[in-house]
Amino acid sequence: MPIPKVQKLFQKTFFGIFSMFGVIGFSTSVLCVYTVDTHLSAEYESNSRDIAKTIADSSVDILLNRDLATLQSLIDQFVEIQGISYIYITDETGTFLAHTFVPGLPEVIRQSDPSNTDTVERNLPGMGDFVEVGSPILAGVGGAVHVGMDTGLVALKIQRAIGQQIYLFSTVFIIGVFAAVWFVNLAAKPLGELLGYAVALAKDGAKAPPSDSLLRRNDEAGQLARLLLHCAGFTDADNKRGVAAPGEAR
Amino acid sequence: MRGQLTRRALLQGGLAGAWLLAPRAAAQAGATTLGAGVTATEITLGVSAAFSGPSRGLGIELYRGAMAYFTEVNNNGGIGGRRIELRVYDDGYQPDPAVRNTLRLMLEDEVFLLFGYVGTPTVTRVLPVLKKFQDRNTYLFFPFTGAQPQRQPPYGDFAFNLRASYAQETKGLVDNFVGLGRRRIAVFYQADAYGRSGWAGVRAALRQHGEQMVGEATYRRGQKFTGSLRPQVEMLKKAAPEAIICVGAYAACAAFVRDAVDLGLKVPIANLSFVGSENLLSLLSEDYERSHQYTDLLVNSQVVPSYEDVSIPAVNEYRELMQRHNPQPPEILLKEEYISFLYSFTSLEGFLNAKLMVEILRRLGDDPSRQRLESAVFSVQDFDLGIGEQVSFGPDRRQGLQRVYYTVVNTGRFVSLDDWQAKFSL
Repeated sequence: MPIPKVQKLFQKTFFGIFSMFGVIGFSTSVLCVYTVDTHLSAEYESNSRDIAKTIADSSVDILLNRDLATLQSLIDQFVEIQGISYIYITDETGTFLAHTFVPGLPEVIRQSDPSNTDTVERNLPGMGDFVEVGSPILAGVGGAVHVGMDTGLVALKIQRAIGQQIYLFSTVFIIGVFAAVWFVNLAAKPLGELLGYAVALAKDGAKAPPSDSLLRRNDEAGQLARLLLHCAGFTDADNKRGVAAPGEAR
Repeated sequence: MRGQLTRRALLQGGLAGAWLLAPRAAAQAGATTLGAGVTATEITLGVSAAFSGPSRGLGIELYRGAMAYFTEVNNNGGIGGRRIELRVYDDGYQPDPAVRNTLRLMLEDEVFLLFGYVGTPTVTRVLPVLKKFQDRNTYLFFPFTGAQPQRQPPYGDFAFNLRASYAQETKGLVDNFVGLGRRRIAVFYQADAYGRSGWAGVRAALRQHGEQMVGEATYRRGQKFTGSLRPQVEMLKKAAPEAIICVGAYAACAAFVRDAVDLGLKVPIANLSFVGSENLLSLLSEDYERSHQYTDLLVNSQVVPSYEDVSIPAVNEYRELMQRHNPQPPEILLKEEYISFLYSFTSLEGFLNAKLMVEILRRLGDDPSRQRLESAVFSVQDFDLGIGEQVSFGPDRRQGLQRVYYTVVNTGRFVSLDDWQAKFSL
């Protein structure tokens, strides 16, 4: 007796699993991007502001001594920190005293207001996008320190975080799919057998009872098999073979 | 004039200065330690300089010049019977290795003093180390930099300089250019403490003439000659300068001159003494066809007289000892091939540094100690180094020489510039 495949019943199950994974994946990715972006940007901005303040505080004596070489040496050390892309220092008149730009001061920076120490977003042609923070020197009467951080680095970190999440999600998804297929197959096999028996019964009256393994099952498939067997009117002799009466739980 | 300098050549050449790096255990065998860096048989000086990387020519030539004199002194019995030993480390002209080397020289090797360092970005980072361990009285002698930090508070007390400062060099160049009517001056400089030091010098000098620099461009330390500096040239070209002052090392400055001439920026281009004139000229001469165009408008300031001027007694002595000893750097430091020069401004400066160093060590007498080192330096008054300029030191005078010389290229070599008007008038 051929065993028909049970497909339609589980198509919805598969669809449900895929949909659920999709919704979970999308929502966690959005949440991840938002969280990483917000926290990382805030952290970088905070660090940059701390660096600007540190330079501003420590450069007072250097500026008063007119020692620009030491001032440059100071900012060169800070610009080695990951995420810090440029630093420049202006005096109270807005004159640029030291900076880390190569091949030179960008026109956007040159045209900006050096006394403004608010956080600003800058696009420097040929260099990229930056968030710039500032800190006044001697409350502004000594000039200001400006620190630029690369937003591209933040974006890269976000991409990495998302990439790691997608990798984890994909791994779980693939394992889940294989597990689902295995479990569905486990469930579908007795149902298919039962369906085959029901079809045979309806077609020409069953000449042979369902398999012993199906009749011995404790689940709904086994109960249905026994019910169908009962309806088909199998004899006590059959029962002696170990076939339970319909409705009799085993 | 030049000789191939490779490991093999060094091995075959007898390692003129190698005995100076003989294992300390052997050198000190049977020697009684009298104080840090001094035994009955030797005085140890510590050196950290560039022996690798694009600026290695500066460290190597400075060392060679100093070794020419030290070798002669040692061959004649040393100082009070003590030979001068150099403990030499390579910092590649990078600040962090320079700091590590200095700590090693001071704390592990316990050298008597530090000598012949190369570069502003390195020295400016080393100065705080000297201040941190100031109770050890370890002084830095005659660094190859004209920057201000080791000439003024808070670190001026820990260093002694022989050469004129970058402020003096840039002022001299600006004064001469402005005197010729070339008031539109731009600066091309290394993006670090050295470049900023020269930039500040040009800025201050222009202010005295009521001028501002018309343009500026930077490059990163470690720039190679093979790299392009066209963006920098284009930036300065827009400012239409009448003269450009470069504050850089030879590889980058040579590349800048090449690209400037190639892009039609034909104005006088000046370099400071640190550039390493012979190395610069060597690179610009690689393209024989164009070398004349590249060097035609060059003018380099120097802090020592021309090594071609044999009328100067110290120059004669330098040339004689360089020929006699032909010193080479320690083999272990030679990571890259380098072709040395028989004579150069840099090695002449190293020679003069060594000559004054020996004089100071002699003044310490038979019992040299760091505690008396400063007073020994201050005892140097109107000392004749043999270059026609008297050297004096004092509590408020920590730089021995003040004079700046100017040189231009003539028939493939740097010679003294006698007539600015004739060479560079508008």
